[in-house]
Amino acid sequence: MLELLKIEWLKLKNYKAFLIIGIFFIIGIFVTNYMVLTVFNKMVDKTEAGMLLGKFMPYDFKHVWQTTSYTSGYILILPVMLLIMLVTNEFTYKTNRQNIIDGLSRLDFINVKIVLATLFAIISTIFVIVTGFALASTTGTEFSFHGFSQVGYFFLKALTYNFIAVFISVLIKRTGFAIGVYFIYMSAENIIAQLLDVWSMKIKADSKLDLGSLGSYLPMNASDSLLSFPENPFKSMAKSAFPTDYHYLTISIAVFFVVLFYWLSRSIILKKDL
Amino acid sequence: MNILTIENLSKNYGKIQALQQVSFTVPKGTVYGILGPNGSGKTTMLGIVMDVLKSSGGGFKLFDELPNESHRKRMGTLLETPNFYHYLSAVQNLKIAAKIKQRGEDDIDRVIEVVGLTQRKNSPFSSYSLGMKQRLAIGSALLGNPEVLVLDEPTNGLDPVGIAEIRTLIMSLANQGKTIIMASHMLDEVEKVCTHVAILKYGKLIASGDVNEILVNEDVVELAASNLDALKNMLTNFPNILSLHIKDKVVQVNLPQGTANMEAINKFCFNNDMVLTHLQLKKKSLETKFLELTN
Repeated sequence: MLELLKIEWLKLKNYKAFLIIGIFFIIGIFVTNYMVLTVFNKMVDKTEAGMLLGKFMPYDFKHVWQTTSYTSGYILILPVMLLIMLVTNEFTYKTNRQNIIDGLSRLDFINVKIVLATLFAIISTIFVIVTGFALASTTGTEFSFHGFSQVGYFFLKALTYNFIAVFISVLIKRTGFAIGVYFIYMSAENIIAQLLDVWSMKIKADSKLDLGSLGSYLPMNASDSLLSFPENPFKSMAKSAFPTDYHYLTISIAVFFVVLFYWLSRSIILKKDL
Repeated sequence: MNILTIENLSKNYGKIQALQQVSFTVPKGTVYGILGPNGSGKTTMLGIVMDVLKSSGGGFKLFDELPNESHRKRMGTLLETPNFYHYLSAVQNLKIAAKIKQRGEDDIDRVIEVVGLTQRKNSPFSSYSLGMKQRLAIGSALLGNPEVLVLDEPTNGLDPVGIAEIRTLIMSLANQGKTIIMASHMLDEVEKVCTHVAILKYGKLIASGDVNEILVNEDVVELAASNLDALKNMLTNFPNILSLHIKDKVVQVNLPQGTANMEAINKFCFNNDMVLTHLQLKKKSLETKFLELTN
């Protein structure tokens, strides 16, 4: 696999989009979180609400892993776009054929893309940890791993997004079209998830059947729903109307979708004409 | 040893039957031409052998074994069009190919020199002309000096000088004992370099085997003398003649394959008081034979 990754590196290192998107991604994670921190500090200082918030600081070490994991999720679209470009490039240039003609197996071809998607998720997670640590250090609070599992959920979310990107790329094969389909799918899933969530509340109210929020069982929303902005004292909504949050079920479903998208991508590459 | 054994290979794209039960064998050390008009299934067949297309029936063997990717690493292949990363240079593209083939990078400069791209080896592939792209694809096939070469329309897009260069290259590779499988619709290309040939038409194999058996089944002898009509009349008495006619200021005599004895013909004419101004053994024109076979 290391040899296969070295081949991928040869394709990547002189690809301009890799450099540009990479830089934007690193800056993006830092700037987004820094903005949230600044806005929060200003709000705490200047508004009366700030007084009520008391000691709540989203970037102190008690909350930072959750805050950074949630906030950075929005930047994941950048590595997703890079992945789509990398995979669809192979189809555009027909280098997928050439790689296989030269002696790569079809399985190697898809597996190395999946490993690349996993590596992107790992690297994204490392940036989140570094950013979180750097920003929390400025608050002068004591170091803590409290809520560090949120970073794990961030990894799961990155993995899901990246695997869906690989799947859409091998399915659609054309760069622009694949990016378009990805965005349309993302919007469609969010709308459907919201409808399902409302429906879940209705089911719970009508029949006392508590299935959890059904919208959270969709591919992207499963890992999305594991992440949230830290609860602040303002948020005291009537939670009893909501269906129960089956935490481990949602995690299992998110993992199931990751495996499913790998299997689907693999089937396409192994069985179809290239 | 056989390099490639194809057994009842079929492929259909929906209702279109691109290959129908094709079987033939490429022995080691041959230059095997796959001949056929456009759309006859040549590229489809090679695509299946290279695992970029899936067959609908039948199978094939490489090096007498069930095919896998390690066989492909031992072959240098140019299939249909040159496929390279547009943003990378010739050298960078060949580094990727070398790594996949698990060969060192030390052969890259040699193959770039062989195909005449040394001066442009660091320019991005996207800036290459069609002919240069084709040259790079041939260079990539030569990488690591493989024992088997599969070339699909190798002279596509090349200028006359390039075509001659590639022909010379193929012949010198054949002389080194390499097995070359070459698909082409150019008859003279196949006639000039191939030892064996398979002819495809509409996905069906029409003929396959030694080029001298497939493309020639009669000996054609051309004769000329000052009086052609007298020469023709006299030759009717020559034994074993299949047919005889005057064409373009020569008399063409068709004899059963392998029976044309030039000495005997010359002696026969001389004994009949006919002095020849021209005497030549010719193979039957490939084009004639090809049209005969495919019509």
